[in-house]
Amino acid sequence: MKEPKIKFDHVTKIFETRNQSITAVKDYSMEIQEGEFVAILGPSGCGKSTLIRMLDGIIPTTSGDIYIDGQKVNHEKKKMPQEVLRKMGFIFQQPNMLPWFTVRQNISLPLQVFALKGAKWEKQVDELLEMVGLKEYANAYPSEISGGMLQRAGVIRAMVHDPEILLMDEPFGALDELTREQMNMELLDIWSKTGKTIVFITHNIEEAVLLSSRVYVMGTQPGRLVETVDLNLPRPRQLSMITQPEFIEYRQKLERFIGKIDLSKIK
Amino acid sequence: MKKKSRISSVAAPVVSFLLIFFIWEMACVVNEIPAWFLPKPTEIFKSMVVDFPEFWPHILVTLEVVLIGFLIAIPVGLTIATLVTSSPLLNAAMSPYITFLVTTPLISLIPLLMLMMGYGLNMRITTVVIQSFAVINMNACTGFNNVPVIRKELMQSMGASPVKTFVKMTLPSAATDIFTGLRLAAIFATTTCISVEYSAGNTGLGSQIIKYSQYLKTTQSFACIFYVTIIGLIMYSLISIAQKKIVSWKE
Ligand SMILES: Nc1ncnc2c1ncn2[C@@H]1O[C@H](COP(=O)(O)OP(=O)(O)OP(=O)(O)O)[C@@H](O)[C@H]1O
Ligand SMILES: [Mg+2]
Repeated sequence: MKEPKIKFDHVTKIFETRNQSITAVKDYSMEIQEGEFVAILGPSGCGKSTLIRMLDGIIPTTSGDIYIDGQKVNHEKKKMPQEVLRKMGFIFQQPNMLPWFTVRQNISLPLQVFALKGAKWEKQVDELLEMVGLKEYANAYPSEISGGMLQRAGVIRAMVHDPEILLMDEPFGALDELTREQMNMELLDIWSKTGKTIVFITHNIEEAVLLSSRVYVMGTQPGRLVETVDLNLPRPRQLSMITQPEFIEYRQKLERFIGKIDLSKIK
Repeated sequence: MKKKSRISSVAAPVVSFLLIFFIWEMACVVNEIPAWFLPKPTEIFKSMVVDFPEFWPHILVTLEVVLIGFLIAIPVGLTIATLVTSSPLLNAAMSPYITFLVTTPLISLIPLLMLMMGYGLNMRITTVVIQSFAVINMNACTGFNNVPVIRKELMQSMGASPVKTFVKMTLPSAATDIFTGLRLAAIFATTTCISVEYSAGNTGLGSQIIKYSQYLKTTQSFACIFYVTIIGLIMYSLISIAQKKIVSWKE
């Protein structure tokens, strides 16, 4: 069998705070194949962000191992090497644009950090701006464009260095319902065109079912993997599918796993 | 609307300025206040012009000390702030001393420094540096410590080097706080310089203020005070202009 793109092998993260130690993620294992679109679903505080931050080298693991393309990438102390980080693009919950740079400069930031120069990469920036309809706003400052545009900029900033993996931490959570649905469809479009491996974090069940091929359900205290649900729904996915019986069945199944609460209603 | 408010923002202080000096002038005239007690503003302005050749060398001395001291204080303050905020250990070790420096009335250090370094420029500049770098440092530390975690994570997620992280993210994030420190430091530098000149040597505007008041030449004394004010104002406005130019973005 092929080497999984991403593999978590009994990963645990314990935060030592002043008066207690918090087990944010406990004994977490999963395998994601190349080109898959998976969702990680769980209530607030179950360790979703912690999980994805360990994968992206922002925080170290406490124990267990993380592999990318079969290579062990995590260290308890050392930082993740840059050639590993280059394989990933991280999309934050907030747009997280730097206000002193224009949209274009913000999007080019990874190119500068990864020292990718030349016409090829400039063209890449142009194409991505074009793709998400930000071409006219390339020289605008973040404070001058709308929330939806900012989040689009965040998405293409994570893609500009051509990563193989996109990590998304509730990327559209702060957007209104309509924009969010639109962004989700755009994301599916990007995915089908580029074939990137996508790890999508959400606490919205509907969103998880609509987008992904597999949902990892997490539970709290300690944050851990509770259930893995494979979704056999046809692709390409459409918004209209949410009323179909198979969709509703999956949704209800996931609702049962997270304790019969509709987490999308919790803000 | 915008133009109107700009005009009034310039006009209002000018009008109030003229008004205050007019009232001052009238008060002196009507009450026949003697010049050695409180000179008329017109007399002071006249002295600023007429006695200018006498003041000029002292203005230069004060300007030199303030500017050199301030310009040394900037890199010193910023460097220490960068080091301190990049390591919790250094932070814990050094922050009490920085606080001491800011809170200790510098006047109390002047005799000691005079003992060690004499009356000359070096001693004055040193005093100005000590007093103003601490404010720059304190404000820069605030700025560096308040950099949003999510921006640090952005740089981390790309494995950016410390230098790149500092230049592209940390420094601009802290820019507003740094400028607050610079503006305060400009004021501190001027007041410190004048305090030192009060007690050390016979050059600089501070020494002249003392000299003229001892001879009851209050008008000249006031003229020197006005020149000090002008130096302070120019420093303050230059920094404000630089801030507007550099920190042109909205958060
Ligand atoms: N740096 C930290 N220090 C201490 N505890 C932390 C830290 N980061 C996260 N935690 C704790 O770890 C647990 C999981 O946090 P995490 O942010 O991963 O949750 P989450 O699933 O992303 O929640 P949300 O949906 O609200 O974003 C929480 O209890 C949180 O308090
Ligand atoms: Mg989170």
